[in-house]
Amino acid sequence: MSDDRSSDLHANLSALRASVLRASIAGRLHPDMEQRLLQSIVDATVRLFDAEASSIAIFETDPDRLVFRVAAGAQGAGAIGLSVAPTQGIAGYVYSTGQALALSDVGSDPRFNRKAAEKTGYVPRSIAAVPLLDESGSVGVLQVLDKRGEAAFTLRDMELLAVFAKQAATAIAATRVQRDLPSLLRSALSQLDGDLTDAQLESIVSAATAGLDDAEESPLWRVADAVAQVSTMGENEQELVAQILTAVAAHAKQRRRR
Amino acid sequence: MVDEEDLPAWSEPFATARQLVRAANLSSVDRDWAWGGATGKGVTIAIIDSGVERDHPRVHGRLVESVAVQTTADGHHTVEPDPSGIDLFGHGTACAGIITGLAPEVDIVSVRVLGADLKGKGTAFAVGLEWAIERGVTVANLSLSSKSETLFPIFHELADDAYFKNIVLVSAANNVPAPSYPSLFASVISVAAHSEPDPFRFYYNPSPPVEFGAWGVDVPIAWKDGTEIVATGNSFAAPHIAGLVSLIASKHPGLTPFEIKAVLAATADNPRSQPT
Repeated sequence: MSDDRSSDLHANLSALRASVLRASIAGRLHPDMEQRLLQSIVDATVRLFDAEASSIAIFETDPDRLVFRVAAGAQGAGAIGLSVAPTQGIAGYVYSTGQALALSDVGSDPRFNRKAAEKTGYVPRSIAAVPLLDESGSVGVLQVLDKRGEAAFTLRDMELLAVFAKQAATAIAATRVQRDLPSLLRSALSQLDGDLTDAQLESIVSAATAGLDDAEESPLWRVADAVAQVSTMGENEQELVAQILTAVAAHAKQRRRR
Repeated sequence: MVDEEDLPAWSEPFATARQLVRAANLSSVDRDWAWGGATGKGVTIAIIDSGVERDHPRVHGRLVESVAVQTTADGHHTVEPDPSGIDLFGHGTACAGIITGLAPEVDIVSVRVLGADLKGKGTAFAVGLEWAIERGVTVANLSLSSKSETLFPIFHELADDAYFKNIVLVSAANNVPAPSYPSLFASVISVAAHSEPDPFRFYYNPSPPVEFGAWGVDVPIAWKDGTEIVATGNSFAAPHIAGLVSLIASKHPGLTPFEIKAVLAATADNPRSQPT
């Protein structure tokens, strides 16, 4: 890398750092963004299919499990937190093969998935499951149990479900990127400049993100956390906090001018 | 006549091409000609899936060999005999049951590419497919596919290899219109589902990449531990076509993949216009 390019890159560091900071604060203010996006998808799925339950399981490592993160519907609640081996059951098959699948007459088979189903307090008659796919393959599974008034799922249902699964996969990809800023920076930089060595990449990334992860107790993060808490409060409290912050900011501006 | 010695290398085979006996023109090909009286006898089909349950009643004892892709300590994949004769999910057994329902005397080779240490890795799938091609089978049922772009060239090479060895690959189309291999390759027979409950009813789709449609909605299938359930998915459409291919191949040994595809297109249930 020439000196010019090096200085160019370093000149852009402050802009980069500002973006990283903003993204970190955004991530901090909405720590449950992924959860909320996924929840909205299962909520919509249950409504659209008029189903007893819908849930999303995400693949997690150490140990390898498919963990049901969100669920919706009258019979959905019991699934949350449940996890199954990625090599077992319908969810496991769909996750492992990337192939969508629907089964009916499930409850009439005494051996079918009964253990896992009973843990949720609900044994379905029919089930449709589609994989959540990103560039690298399956990241999880979207399931729907029992359409009210219909014994089985149609091909059209499978197609619709695949559209919902795509949204879920996109939501996961987006929030994971936000959570892992250093790796995002690394890949963006190496795409911009293929000649950068690993060591050079590392030094730029660590300069841009320095102090973000390890300074947990910095005043900035305390402010961000406080604002996140306020966002769940009533309008009056939020108005009060907004007024205080505006006053503090105006005061700080004046002090700087002097 | 041209002297064979004067021909460029790639032209040599054509000098003897006139000796080949081939099917008459397609309009005379009907189902009776294609597979009337056939049972699948003499045909070996590989089911590349989750294993096949040897003792399942719907497998009719037709499982002749079982292997499983394993992961070695250094992360490589090997193919080892799998004498257990079990199916981890039930899915491979479901495919086997559909196939023996159509071709009761076909020989089944189970290639298990899913398992505790494999997690459905595309590379395990590729290694299993390669093994089946090397072993020599007549047909392979692939009710799964890989999305991995990095495996594209590997699957492409394997699909070509199978094609030139007269091995018909029958592949379930992905439910989502997205790249998936080898189901999108021109040399394989790619199958999606229709909902008419008739195992012999199938359609040719003139708008590729999915070329055929077979029964795949609410199909009563064999499942894990000797059970049966009702299922929907392209994974259950593909074995219907694989079963028919087994019948055609058993009645007409030596047909090439493109000839079998042409026979399928000629005998499909599509509405026909009157010959002009």
